[in-house]
Amino acid sequence: MTSLVEEINRLEARHGCPQQHFTSRVRWFSHLCRDWLFEVPLDLLADCVHDELVLQWASLLFDDSSTGGALAWLPPEDAGAHTGRLVYPGGQAMNQLYFQDVVVGEVPRTRGSPAQFELNGRIRQVAAARVDREGFVGVRSDYHCGVWKVPGRTGAAPTPLQVIRTNVPASCLTVSPHLPGELAVCTQSGAVYLWSVETGLQQLRQDPQTMFFRDHSPWRWSEFTAHPRVLSCADRTGLQCLDARAPGRCHLDFFKVGEEAGCQQGERVVLPMYLGRAHPSQHLVATQFAVYVMDERLPLVPVLKWAHMMKDPPLFAHVVPGGPGRSHKVLLGASRTQELLLLQYTGGSESACQLAGPPQKLHSISGCLQHLPTQLPHRHWLLQQRLGAPAAGLAAVPHARGQRESLLVFQLSEAGDVFYQTLTHEAAQPRAPDGEDKDEAASSTSPMLEAPFGSTPGSPPGSGGEEEEEIFYLSNLEVIVNEEEEEEEEGTPAASEETQHPEEPCASPHPLPAVPSPAAAVRYRRWLKALFRDWRELPRHTGVRGPPTISQKRLFTRKDLGPPAGTSDLHVRARQQLRHAMREQGRIRRWDLGPDPQPLPQPVEPAAWPDALSARLTAAWAGDLSHWWEERLGLNMAQRQRALRERRRRQKRARGHRSLSASFTSSVTYQSELSELSDGAPAAAPAPAPPLSPGHPEALPQVFTEAWGGSLAGGSAPGGSTPRRPPPSPPPAEPLLSSQTLRSRGIPKERRKMLRDYLAVCAEGPPEPLPEPPGSQPPSQGGQLCIPSSQSQLLGSQPRRKRPRMGF
Amino acid sequence: MDSLMERAAPCSAAQAGSALLPALHLPLLPPHLYRPATSHEHKLNFRKSKEACLTYIQDAMLQKQWKRAAEFLTFYIESLEKDFSTEYMGPSEMIWRIGTEILCHHSYSSMKDFNSFIEQMKTLGVKRYLKVCLEHAFHLLCNGQTDEAYQNLSLAESWRFGEQTTAQDKELKLIQAYRGLLDYYSWSKQKNVLLEYDKEGFEDLSVEQEMHSSFRKAAVNLKEIIQIPGVWDVFVKCYVDLLEFYGDHDEARQVLSEYAYNSKFPANPNAHVYFYQFLKRHGEPKKSLISVLKILHDIVPSHELMIDFNTMLQKSKKRKKRRLGLEVIFAALDYAGWKENVKAWSCLARQVKQIIISEKHLDWIKQEWNSRKGWWPAFHFSRYLAKRNWQENESLAYEKALVAGILLGKDCKYFKYVSHQGCKDQKKRLRTLKKFVNKHSPVYLRISGLSDSSVQT
Repeated sequence: MTSLVEEINRLEARHGCPQQHFTSRVRWFSHLCRDWLFEVPLDLLADCVHDELVLQWASLLFDDSSTGGALAWLPPEDAGAHTGRLVYPGGQAMNQLYFQDVVVGEVPRTRGSPAQFELNGRIRQVAAARVDREGFVGVRSDYHCGVWKVPGRTGAAPTPLQVIRTNVPASCLTVSPHLPGELAVCTQSGAVYLWSVETGLQQLRQDPQTMFFRDHSPWRWSEFTAHPRVLSCADRTGLQCLDARAPGRCHLDFFKVGEEAGCQQGERVVLPMYLGRAHPSQHLVATQFAVYVMDERLPLVPVLKWAHMMKDPPLFAHVVPGGPGRSHKVLLGASRTQELLLLQYTGGSESACQLAGPPQKLHSISGCLQHLPTQLPHRHWLLQQRLGAPAAGLAAVPHARGQRESLLVFQLSEAGDVFYQTLTHEAAQPRAPDGEDKDEAASSTSPMLEAPFGSTPGSPPGSGGEEEEEIFYLSNLEVIVNEEEEEEEEGTPAASEETQHPEEPCASPHPLPAVPSPAAAVRYRRWLKALFRDWRELPRHTGVRGPPTISQKRLFTRKDLGPPAGTSDLHVRARQQLRHAMREQGRIRRWDLGPDPQPLPQPVEPAAWPDALSARLTAAWAGDLSHWWEERLGLNMAQRQRALRERRRRQKRARGHRSLSASFTSSVTYQSELSELSDGAPAAAPAPAPPLSPGHPEALPQVFTEAWGGSLAGGSAPGGSTPRRPPPSPPPAEPLLSSQTLRSRGIPKERRKMLRDYLAVCAEGPPEPLPEPPGSQPPSQGGQLCIPSSQSQLLGSQPRRKRPRMGF
Repeated sequence: MDSLMERAAPCSAAQAGSALLPALHLPLLPPHLYRPATSHEHKLNFRKSKEACLTYIQDAMLQKQWKRAAEFLTFYIESLEKDFSTEYMGPSEMIWRIGTEILCHHSYSSMKDFNSFIEQMKTLGVKRYLKVCLEHAFHLLCNGQTDEAYQNLSLAESWRFGEQTTAQDKELKLIQAYRGLLDYYSWSKQKNVLLEYDKEGFEDLSVEQEMHSSFRKAAVNLKEIIQIPGVWDVFVKCYVDLLEFYGDHDEARQVLSEYAYNSKFPANPNAHVYFYQFLKRHGEPKKSLISVLKILHDIVPSHELMIDFNTMLQKSKKRKKRRLGLEVIFAALDYAGWKENVKAWSCLARQVKQIIISEKHLDWIKQEWNSRKGWWPAFHFSRYLAKRNWQENESLAYEKALVAGILLGKDCKYFKYVSHQGCKDQKKRLRTLKKFVNKHSPVYLRISGLSDSSVQT
């Protein structure tokens, strides 16, 4: 809709510009709407359009539909095992759900091929929680929410349990970390449900209004709390806790945007999250400016606040609980800008909450680009697009092997790629030299890419690596701690993480190095190869859109398409050239027109083709199209015009005054006007237009000459193809469409504007097809100008076609 | 010079245009290459580069490149030149915050640099003079320079700057309070010195006097901040400690009850805890302790003190209180944080056992169980949990098995698993448990309401 309006605006701006073409969209729109559009009250329509535009604009500015993220990690059943499961969407429409076993290690490896489900909607959010032994995965798309059960044993297939459908788009789905098969669902109508797989839905709240003050956003969120029967319920203005046992009465204000939390003006809740794995009563509340850690026991007053200064509001968050005496790590991710921040904090029970060390920025997906080998420009562009796609999810997995601890951070992009980076743990040191030494910075990080999952040995053919979206690879922006530092670390075991000192720089992504390690480079190359292979295999039409073509079947009979009677040398050659050009998708320039006309080897016999099309093409070939055009249309039209006017006069006499509501008759008038106009009606025609003189209707042919002339050198007149260049006359449509004229024709006032617009559009209708080489008549006429078949005859045939309906 | 060029360029273009007809459009340089920026553009560019600079600084800081950040910050200081911003955080505040952060982490920075930077910041922004002072004092404290911090705070306290002083009233109160806290700190040090002396039989009047003066200073400041609604746990604790030392129990009690019960203060469970601890220290009767804990139970049913509360109530002779005790322990076990708390489970097991043996008040259990029977089995008594509890903590498994056996009958998964494992290991304790549950198995029917329905049908 927006682009349509833009186009119409552009048309208006170019009003009178000879070099205009109609976009097909406008034409389609007029086709769709011309029968009813004038029946709709304009105010109502304008309101609706305005509302829709506001919505669209808001979603362009900030799209909250992916809040929560569509990447989830199901940890292994026992902490010792290394195989967990990554759940993420993929496919062209992000409607495939994948469950992929991943072996966690220094470099994560996929195991086997992913279990795959096809859903009928774009997956917005994937939430997962492990309760006892089983994992539960909630999947939210706009109008459907589903839940899957994933058995604890590795390799066991996930089973879908239940699906619910909502009338209003759902905005939130969270899985209970306490009870198996329980989820919380929110819809944009302000309803909050507790969804149990066994007992069904229980509505906890239904309130389209926001909680603390008025905010227009329909976004709602709900999370579980320390009490399995109490849910937190959020909108943009704050959070409340609801008791599912008595949802009507029991609620507690938990977080309010305002004074108590020291909020800024305009601050709104963007993402609440239950930090139950870190501390049973802590919650994270993220706004576009800051993150707050809240404690259920001390509502309204945040126990920790930090202004994150992210460019885009954080839509994804993940918490990695630290053991006793260790800091909890919170990862925040933004969608559009792919920002990723790591925040560490300690405390909660015995001590007050406090940040541990400065927050850190992790690598984003688009940062890989500089480490990829140099590409051809179009490939580089493709890569840039691919890597720059907005982020869609976030997950983190702690991993420990012996002394070495690390944190794997997975990031999902909207293109369906999953990337990872590894952060290694570093015990806190007093005044650690934080990457100040240059040599350290140069050798520290090595971004790596894992091979596409699809090409892992053992994956069945056909499941992986066929579609572009299937490419699933991991990028490892790994931190290899400087050797010097490692020695220091070993030398000072007292400063280990078990002491009260928090592991301040737990992970230290240093600046990107100039060169990735050789192993990383190999992985990059493997991934690139797979990406480009799949890109090539894509069907053409999904790639760059070629010029639209239309079927010629209905345009021409078989006889027309057959080889003309006298197949000469020229024809053969022309055909060959045409075929050649078509194969290469190029244009047949030389045939365009005669700034340097080809010497005609043989005069064409126009008499051989008596039909109209041939006549026209012959005329065009001879450079005499304008004349032919006048001849053809002017006569016809003038006759019809006269008949019409006659009839109108009779009607007028019979009825005297026309009622306003006579839309039927008024449409008759505008049809007639259309016909007047389509032949380039003369300007300044008061009510009874004078019969068209053959000299007048040059408007249309002139369009051609000017259009062509522009492309010729220096604006000099094209050689001989136009007979005359009359002085530029005022655009013909304007006087005709003046309100006076319209009134004089009995058009109701409220329709005049519409009619004028409509006519203005028609008047600037598509120019007639350019003259073509004689041998290529049928295909080039249809194909090159991309005018749908009915449209190509719009000017001439429309009044005729309409006539029976209009009561002529 | 620039303006000359600006005029000259269009002029020559016009001449060229008029000389050659029709107009010949020579490709001219794009205007921004030869025309100086207008003041408006300049303003725009300035703002843009300011923002870009800020982004670079942020980027460097988030990647711990303090040196790079510091370099950018020196450029950013130029933004002070035109600081008309009405934004939430102006450039001068930005510089202060960023600079502090960088100096905290920069490897070459020293305390001296930090101090001089802060002094500059104090003069730069009068609007947040006190905030800067407070932050400076914190930094000094973190580096162990208590005396400097104290001096700093006293200086800040005496700062007067017309209206600005009144505008920063809140900060001033905080500064006073923190100074009070430091006074308290020196007081407690002197107190310890005196106690040492006492042991050894010395007497030092000067130290004693100093201590008393510290007390007075601390008490005045601390008392003031406590009047304002807020969360002042540290100050309240210190103030009460002071008062208690000098035997002013009434005042201490007054302060604590005000802190806990004044409705203007945010609901703060710690306030109730402090009050409870105070009352307990002074041997107050059970009744008042129970009333304090009752309120705490209403606010935070998952508080650690609920176990004390439950034991207190269980010992009570009144039926109503024992009933409350059962409620309290059930409510505490609702919370995820209590799932593996052996103490809580043994409290529950003990009380349930008592009730069953006495065969009175079975309806209490029934009532509590009614609202929980839908989700407790999955939450507490699943087979997986039985296995895990048995592996990790046998006594927890034992307590839970008892409760499960009574509430859910002897066929419940948890009880079955634990008793089976226990029999395998020949645990005596489990044999008695099994016997007990088997003996009282009809109780389960009554609790779950099955016996009633069977009677009806």
